[in-house]
Amino acid sequence: MASTSAAPAAPVASPTEPILEVTGLVKHYPLTRGVVFRKQVGAVKAVDGVDFTLSRGETLGIVGESGCGKSTVAKMLVNLEKPTAGRIRYKGEDVTKLSGRALRAVRRNIQMVFQDPYTSLNPRMTVGDIIGEPYEIHPEVAPKGDRRKKVQDLLDVVGLNPEYINRYPHQFSGGQRQRIGIARGLALRPEVIVADEPVSALDVSVQAQVINLMANLQSEFDLSYIFIAHDLSIVRHISDRVAVMYLGRIVETGRDAEIYEHPTHPYTQALLSAVPVPDPEAREHRERIILSGDVPSPTNIPSGCRFRTRCWKAQDRCALEVPALAVPAEFRHTGGPAAHDSACHFAEEKQVVPPEEPREDHGNERA
Amino acid sequence: MLLEVRDLHVEFRTRDGVAKAVNGVTYGVDAGETLAVLGESGSGKSVTAQAVMGILDIPPGRITGGEILFQDRDLLTLKEDERRKIRGAEMAMIFQDALSSLNPVLTVGDQLGEMFVVHRGMSRKDARARAVELMDRVRIPAAKERVRQYPHQFSGGMRQRIMIAMAMALEPKLIIADEPTTALDVTVQAQVMELLAELQRELHMGLILITHDLGVVADVADRIAVMYAGRIVESAPVHDIYKAPAHPYTRGLLDSIPRLDQKGQELYAIKGLPPNLMHIPPGCAFHPRCPMAQDVCRTDEPPLYEVDEERGSACHFWRECLHG
Repeated sequence: MASTSAAPAAPVASPTEPILEVTGLVKHYPLTRGVVFRKQVGAVKAVDGVDFTLSRGETLGIVGESGCGKSTVAKMLVNLEKPTAGRIRYKGEDVTKLSGRALRAVRRNIQMVFQDPYTSLNPRMTVGDIIGEPYEIHPEVAPKGDRRKKVQDLLDVVGLNPEYINRYPHQFSGGQRQRIGIARGLALRPEVIVADEPVSALDVSVQAQVINLMANLQSEFDLSYIFIAHDLSIVRHISDRVAVMYLGRIVETGRDAEIYEHPTHPYTQALLSAVPVPDPEAREHRERIILSGDVPSPTNIPSGCRFRTRCWKAQDRCALEVPALAVPAEFRHTGGPAAHDSACHFAEEKQVVPPEEPREDHGNERA
Repeated sequence: MLLEVRDLHVEFRTRDGVAKAVNGVTYGVDAGETLAVLGESGSGKSVTAQAVMGILDIPPGRITGGEILFQDRDLLTLKEDERRKIRGAEMAMIFQDALSSLNPVLTVGDQLGEMFVVHRGMSRKDARARAVELMDRVRIPAAKERVRQYPHQFSGGMRQRIMIAMAMALEPKLIIADEPTTALDVTVQAQVMELLAELQRELHMGLILITHDLGVVADVADRIAVMYAGRIVESAPVHDIYKAPAHPYTRGLLDSIPRLDQKGQELYAIKGLPPNLMHIPPGCAFHPRCPMAQDVCRTDEPPLYEVDEERGSACHFWRECLHG
């Protein structure tokens, strides 16, 4: 699809330098009281100190339950929300400090695919206008006469018939709409795509189609993905590295096998053990960690470790000291897959997902 | 059999035409048994359940054929006031979205107690006491105080517990749970499913679990009925179906689950889209998407072939499918 490509506007990063580097990212929403004299009485701490990096061509999966701040992180990455504090460096340049033309150039390179393909497409615009709209803001990517052709190419790239350019969103199914959303994300030839729950609104048989499409586009266009989802098996399938979030912070992060097979944080272990496994044989011999209670309110975060109120290992120390996200001391020298960042004072390895025996292949061929 | 649905047909008349939502569904549940009805959106799984409960919107909906036998009585021949006595007391339903299923302007105590006032003729005071008992039973902490609170004051998981309490209130013989945990987070989902399974065992109820999640099914179901385009395409004990599916649609669903040993490779995907219910393909409704389809599939609708005593598959080539 060389015809849709245009040279990226920003400087080219060296291969070792991360394309995206996030440090100390914070988003607090103030809670106010009073009409005439508004005073701040507290804050919803949606994101409360998040660090991560993303390399070129890599996929970072972010998992967590509702309210953990994963979508707020996504919005800050594409500048839909201004961070309260912290830095987002794109190829070494702090995006949070930019404005005007410089900001626009960066935003071109970081695009978003939204969760709900039913509400994220304007029902009164044709597919061609939806996918071509980014060119109105960034006319340098496609001169006016060239746009229709480019949009048709994009439709072809995401597996839709280019003749559908004049149709409206309601004429498409959910999976097709998500393809439209992806085509819009690709229009400006970005280097980073932030996908916030891109398949959770889709039917099971269609999810696999969209995941395959995203994987193919990644290798075709050398994209880097931030892939946010709550479905742990899909995240594992597509991600190189995974970060687990709880109440506004990353509690554990590492390569996918490190997180799924050697989790050391109790929250990750509980999360993995709670996922229903599509294998009735596993029912009997599977250990399940069922957490008590609900996630605390982000307006009133527990002191020390924020997971301690639901943790079966919690001790006095957990209420006093905030555990740092680092390789736990006991694994620092042993090395191996358990030696990855985990924010727990009492980190220990525990295998919760039974090692998968190769399932019988039912005969469907995989490409 | 506690409940038997036989050859049920439901259609919806709309401005654009007739949508055939349910086209000859047959299934049954015994007391103490869990039947999972698996299907994607538009497969007719919820419409069948609504017909069983008698809460189908008529019109536009219309039951055009079939029988629903509950304890050997055909519900479709009963009068509305007779059905109302069964609904709630004998069979109850748990919905996906607890927030919109609860009345926001009544306390949860009033809503739970209403069951006893209406069906058992209890006084408000006694009903309130029973409401507290129920909330204890579904393990809502501080039930005595919280009985006076409104739905918005509860978290999603707690609201779903209240829905379960409401369904259990009169100790019905059959519970239909329509995607009961889909709106919940995984850790809360596990709590709620465990609670539901435990109460079912205690009360020896029949449970119809409607879901699209193959994981949830494998965790709790005894039997599975897989639906596609308003028909049951495969019906089997849960262990058999995961080991060796006898219908290409079931096989496709199982194969599209990401697997560890397939990481980095392309996922198997069922090609195409679920059919439009106004224009269901002739012959086997799945044939345009089926990797095994032959000429006969385009013309002859497959009956539910008997695979063995406990299994059925609506595929002309179930043998080939079963043996890979």
